[in-house]
Amino acid sequence: MKSDSRFIDETGKVLMLGNEALVRGCLEAGVSYVSQYPGTPTSDIGEYFHQVLTENPDLKDYLVHQWAVNEAVATSSCAGAAWTGVRTFNPMKHVGLNVASDALSVIALNGPNPGAMVIGVGSDPGSLGSHQEQNERFYAWMLHLPTIEPHTPQECKDWVKLAFDLSEKYDLVINLRTSTRNAHSRGFVELEPLKKGKEKGEFIRNIPKFNSLPPHAINNHVRLYERIERLREAIPDLGLNKIYPGNNKIGIITSGVPFGYTMEALHQLELYNVPILKLGMIYPLNYQEITNFIQDLEKIIIIEELEPFLEIKISEIAQIKKLNVEIIGSKYFPKFNEFSTGLVATTLAKIFHKKPNEQMIKAIDYFNSYKEMIPSRFPTFCAGCPERATLYSILKATNQLENTVVCGDIGCYVMSFFPPQQCSDLIICMSGGLSAAIGMSTKTDQKVLAMIGDSTFFHTGLSPLAEAIGYDSNILLIIFDNEWTAMTGHQNDVLRYLINKDFSIEKVCRALGVPWLRVEDSYNPKKLTKSIEEALNAKGLKVIIIKRECGLQAHRYRMQQIRSIESQGEKAQEELFHITGCQMCHECSRILSCPAIRRVEIDGYETMQIDDDRCIRCGVCYQICPNGAIHKSTLNLLGEEVPFRH
Amino acid sequence: MKVKETDIVNIVIAGTAGQGVITLKRLIEFAAQKSGVERVFGSEMHGLAQREGAITSHTRYQKKIFKDERRNLQSPLICYGDADIFICLEPVEALRRGIFASQKTTFVLNEHDIPGVMITADLEAYPPLDKIVEILKEYSNDIHTINATKICLNNFNSNLMVNIFMLGYAIPTGKLPFINVEHYEEVIKEWLRDPDINIKALHLGIEEGNKVNYI
Ligand SMILES: Cc1ncc(C[n+]2csc(CCOP(=O)(O)OP(=O)(O)O)c2C)c(N)n1
Ligand code: SF4
Ligand code: SF4
Repeated sequence: MKSDSRFIDETGKVLMLGNEALVRGCLEAGVSYVSQYPGTPTSDIGEYFHQVLTENPDLKDYLVHQWAVNEAVATSSCAGAAWTGVRTFNPMKHVGLNVASDALSVIALNGPNPGAMVIGVGSDPGSLGSHQEQNERFYAWMLHLPTIEPHTPQECKDWVKLAFDLSEKYDLVINLRTSTRNAHSRGFVELEPLKKGKEKGEFIRNIPKFNSLPPHAINNHVRLYERIERLREAIPDLGLNKIYPGNNKIGIITSGVPFGYTMEALHQLELYNVPILKLGMIYPLNYQEITNFIQDLEKIIIIEELEPFLEIKISEIAQIKKLNVEIIGSKYFPKFNEFSTGLVATTLAKIFHKKPNEQMIKAIDYFNSYKEMIPSRFPTFCAGCPERATLYSILKATNQLENTVVCGDIGCYVMSFFPPQQCSDLIICMSGGLSAAIGMSTKTDQKVLAMIGDSTFFHTGLSPLAEAIGYDSNILLIIFDNEWTAMTGHQNDVLRYLINKDFSIEKVCRALGVPWLRVEDSYNPKKLTKSIEEALNAKGLKVIIIKRECGLQAHRYRMQQIRSIESQGEKAQEELFHITGCQMCHECSRILSCPAIRRVEIDGYETMQIDDDRCIRCGVCYQICPNGAIHKSTLNLLGEEVPFRH
Repeated sequence: MKVKETDIVNIVIAGTAGQGVITLKRLIEFAAQKSGVERVFGSEMHGLAQREGAITSHTRYQKKIFKDERRNLQSPLICYGDADIFICLEPVEALRRGIFASQKTTFVLNEHDIPGVMITADLEAYPPLDKIVEILKEYSNDIHTINATKICLNNFNSNLMVNIFMLGYAIPTGKLPFINVEHYEEVIKEWLRDPDINIKALHLGIEEGNKVNYI
């Protein structure tokens, strides 16, 4: 394997994902500080920075990358660094912007100068990797965040660079907004030389600028308008917006990935004369530039995902300029879910009175005719996951959730609501489960149970825990202390640094004064079930910490150990689990539901079988099988034992 | 039909998490770069979808681009019905993403099934392979199935090369134009762990693919 030089080569043409191109663009722009909390589709941005810094330690002289505990912390950290005069980058997922918005509202007002600050919001139309769908573009209006939307990886790279220049020049926080689609699409990128970032800056006292309280708050607001207006004037010269001319009286305005769908849809419909304005900057808009494009047209179609954003602004411009042009978009296009070439093509076919492509219509119709019979395959916990094993104990202790409400939360355990376990009744946002439980427990006699993971605990979970302790809320809180931010891909984040510094959630709970506290292991399901039963029978706040490493990481680590033992010519001891005499009671498949267990037919009889390749040897199924049909045997009895970590 | 250099090549790869869908996509894209194509643009999924879930990727390239951007590859997603080749690493995943197929599509399909947890729990039914093939035939008759998992287990004692084997099996269809076997080999050497075994898997796949009589 060769090392990946795409991030540091001085010239060339390389293949990059949108997110990789953003990182490359930052390195070409001389970025000095990056902070973020992970979240799809932006988590891998931090991983690339981490990779670059590990492979090229000399970059550490001027570049710092940090994983923050949450988005608000990351955003303010970036502002702090920018105010010493350096360039800072702050990626986040769309809902991360909700968390960051309080901080950002002030930072945008004050302005990032003397440095520069670019946020990289990864939107997620279609909720491809999120717990909700929202159009966070509207923050651009509310906070005056100039927003740039690239289409290709090349644009991701070039425009993030430009964003730093604009941020510095106009004292504005710029948003480089991608979507799950282009963040994770690969294309060619022409490289330009890297630029060294500033090693050090200096904070220079400027009380009016950095203290947006009266009287400075209003002055900074006035100044913000001035800065935005200066940028608005400059837009036509930035090279971000582009016109594809045509003589049709109906024109299109679009941006980002929907531009790609639009171009291919028009190609499919053989509509080559439709004028298109591709916006690179969607906020602010230059009124004259928009007017020039729309004034001679009869109709403008705005093609944008989610709630109408451009449609409203462009209608406003048409009204101010008294233009007689019809502006349509959300009347024809859905205000939810992501778009596709097919969707844009069928909608444009209606508007232009064209026949949609037959091959496509046939594919859609035929697919719809059989799709009901496709078996589901939703994401589910890995084989041997300690969170899944915990759900087993919850289901057993509550007699399948009888008179019990489970307030779920966001981490791998977000998947708890899926069948067959269906062990989560609601999900709000990170730490929203515990918060909901506080209110709910005052109003119901049902047993209220809440779940939270360790990363979420630090993100925003400490505060509701303090409140629950304060009021002694009648809740059982289960904390998954799996030592990783697992759901987003096990980043080497601040949680890991804390763990290496011997921190423990148990100590935090004790210091805060949790009245009923136990530390359990979900790989010991009978004991855990008993503890949950006891907790649910006790009054007030109860906390059970599930201390067990993420199964996937633990398994990777074990396999590494085994490989290294074997590479020295030694043998490793192996436990194997196998099933004989299965009564098909479905305890392991419906209540535990480990994906390493499969239902097969042997000699005409149905039985469960354990897939050795997927089984991580957690031993939970072995302990819970009511028929004693799951057996354990040890291979290489004299070989070296390789237990899980701890 | 002869492929023109300006044609857009559309490849759908579907499978389940852990089968190497994304690795395969990346491999084809980097090999396409080595073969000198002018544009590549394709989407893959990262994040939430990766725990036992269904995975699809869209790989697209265009050897020569038109001056007129309106005729070029612009979207990272393939349009419904527009797949030239559909590489399915797991049978029901072909049904799940069937919407990208039409009569122009060639299917190459690994026969080995990976039932999800709802099948194991006997709360849903997994359709038999011949039923799956029968449904897919309504899209296109050009379907070639092989038990890649079994072949890989027999030959390499591992199913980790199923993705590369299936790429090899797809090559003789001619639906991955302009990219030579050497390009794939180079990329495998540069980017994959265990390149020797993977190159063997590639050639084993090609060998099996060559046994099919493509018209
Ligand atoms: C505001 C916000 N930021 C980021 C995310 C993305 N996200 C989803 S789950 C998760 C990590 C959860 O980690 P942890 O609580 O430790 O649970 P685990 O996945 O380890 O079980 C993150 C960062 C989100 N959903 N919302
Ligand atoms: S990544 Fe870890 S915590 Fe998440 S489902 Fe897999 S084993 Fe469980
Ligand atoms: S021991 Fe049982 S429960 Fe644990 S991973 Fe293996 S099959 Fe799954």
